[in-house]
Amino acid sequence: MSFRDNAVIWFSFIGLLISVFLINNLVDDWGRLSGSWNNLTIFISESLWPPNWSVIEPQAYPVCTVYPLFDFTCSTAWIGIIETLKIAFISTIFGSIISLPLALLAARNLNPRWISFIVRFILAAARSLPSIIWAIFFVILVGFGPISGILAMTIYTVGYLGKLQYESIEGISSIPLEAGKSMGLSRYEISKGIVIPENANDLISQIIFMFEYNVRHGTVIGIVGAGGIGYYINLYLKFLQYDKVIAYLIIIFIVVLIIDFISISARSLFTEEGDSNEDSIFTSFLKLWKETILPQGLLFFSRK
Amino acid sequence: MEDENKTPIVHLKDVVIGFNSSRPLVEITNMEIFPGEVVAVTGPSGIGKTTLLRTIAGLVKPISGYIHVCGSNPSKILRGEVGYIPQRLGLVRHASVLHNVMLGAKTNQKLPKSYFSSKEEKNYSLKTINSLGLTEKINEPVRRLSGGQQRRVAIARTLSQAPSLIMADEFLSELDEKTINMVLREIIDYVKNSKAALLVVEHDVSRAREMADHLLVIDDGRVNPFISETRTILLEAEK
Repeated sequence: MSFRDNAVIWFSFIGLLISVFLINNLVDDWGRLSGSWNNLTIFISESLWPPNWSVIEPQAYPVCTVYPLFDFTCSTAWIGIIETLKIAFISTIFGSIISLPLALLAARNLNPRWISFIVRFILAAARSLPSIIWAIFFVILVGFGPISGILAMTIYTVGYLGKLQYESIEGISSIPLEAGKSMGLSRYEISKGIVIPENANDLISQIIFMFEYNVRHGTVIGIVGAGGIGYYINLYLKFLQYDKVIAYLIIIFIVVLIIDFISISARSLFTEEGDSNEDSIFTSFLKLWKETILPQGLLFFSRK
Repeated sequence: MEDENKTPIVHLKDVVIGFNSSRPLVEITNMEIFPGEVVAVTGPSGIGKTTLLRTIAGLVKPISGYIHVCGSNPSKILRGEVGYIPQRLGLVRHASVLHNVMLGAKTNQKLPKSYFSSKEEKNYSLKTINSLGLTEKINEPVRRLSGGQQRRVAIARTLSQAPSLIMADEFLSELDEKTINMVLREIIDYVKNSKAALLVVEHDVSRAREMADHLLVIDDGRVNPFISETRTILLEAEK
């Protein structure tokens, strides 16, 4: 057994030692940890719990005019989360439209080094600030509201998605590219005819992942006034109404879980394994719907 | 070679091929391939046969020497003039058979130029696909085809370019005897009718002798001018 064989274990151990040393430098008073558990229980029992579900009740103003069963759609939670989802969707689409050509230019296997260097620099700049900082910047530029959120998240999406895309483009086999080059195809034709189709599964999967990522981050940018559910969270944090804040957080948690589930299932359709006969949860559900639920339902209603 | 009046499609003079000047792979004093000729390259593995093809295709720079392909330097070959079938084919695996073949047709200089895919390009591709017996698989993604079928797609892609020079690296492997005959007939017919040239790397010496007009044997890295004429049995049988 050499050092190389156990490299991961050794590196983890050395990393742990360095971390212990650094944390000891950073923390001056360990005694503050002792009261934290007590603080947490008081905070939960007195301020946080039970959640105040009035956030899913319709607002007093404007007056809700929808069918009573759907009056939750007039609530701040619904309005906020739908706005967050809309911001995430729009910025993912705009971001991916901008990032794809940039990623094609940033890939070293398709372009001279100087072009990829410049484009990588632009992508790194877009990525260097988290979306919440971009949101603050755009709130200053264009004012409060979803437009700042869309601009902020679009820029961040360009930077982040662009990096994911050029890395996956660089990972494709060089042989189809060489075949295209020897045929005399232009760089544009190679990108359109070889790189994008060859990489389509990855590119689509990354866009879906980015949407999921933007939904999660979209909940935060509202805190600085860039639209979405974060706006309400910030509002009730300021009023110290933590029971309402926890209700929003639970709703966000559920929505993110649902989006995660849909995203994972949708991404599984775009992998090579999608060719196999094994069904994903998503395709199994579609099959169940088509072959059992729908016909049985139609039969049930037709009898009535 | 046989007809000195013709301009060679490929002309190599005092060429040294390889990746490192201290370790050249192949040295060629003089090699000319004329229109309508089929040349097979044979030799042991790792000797530099593929590198020779890639150098002629302009994908690898030679260490030294003079190379002229279709009247120009390999790095400036005209669009569609060279059809190169790599050993691992280089197909777009996630795209359909038609998409792959149309990539070749896009560079076909005999078809009208178009920014988007034209009807002529599509018809030409369909004709080539049909000639290689792949009509039923036209919309199938290439990754779902068998190894032999994929090889035929690569050949169809090259033929749809209507190139002046076809270079193929072990392009008959994974094919059954019947398909080999079909593929060879298509490709050699094309070469003879269009006055193109075919340069193939073929491991199997007897098959190389069968298909080629000339045999290029690389053994110790030095290539003499063509060893001998090896009139193909297949072509004679065809006649």
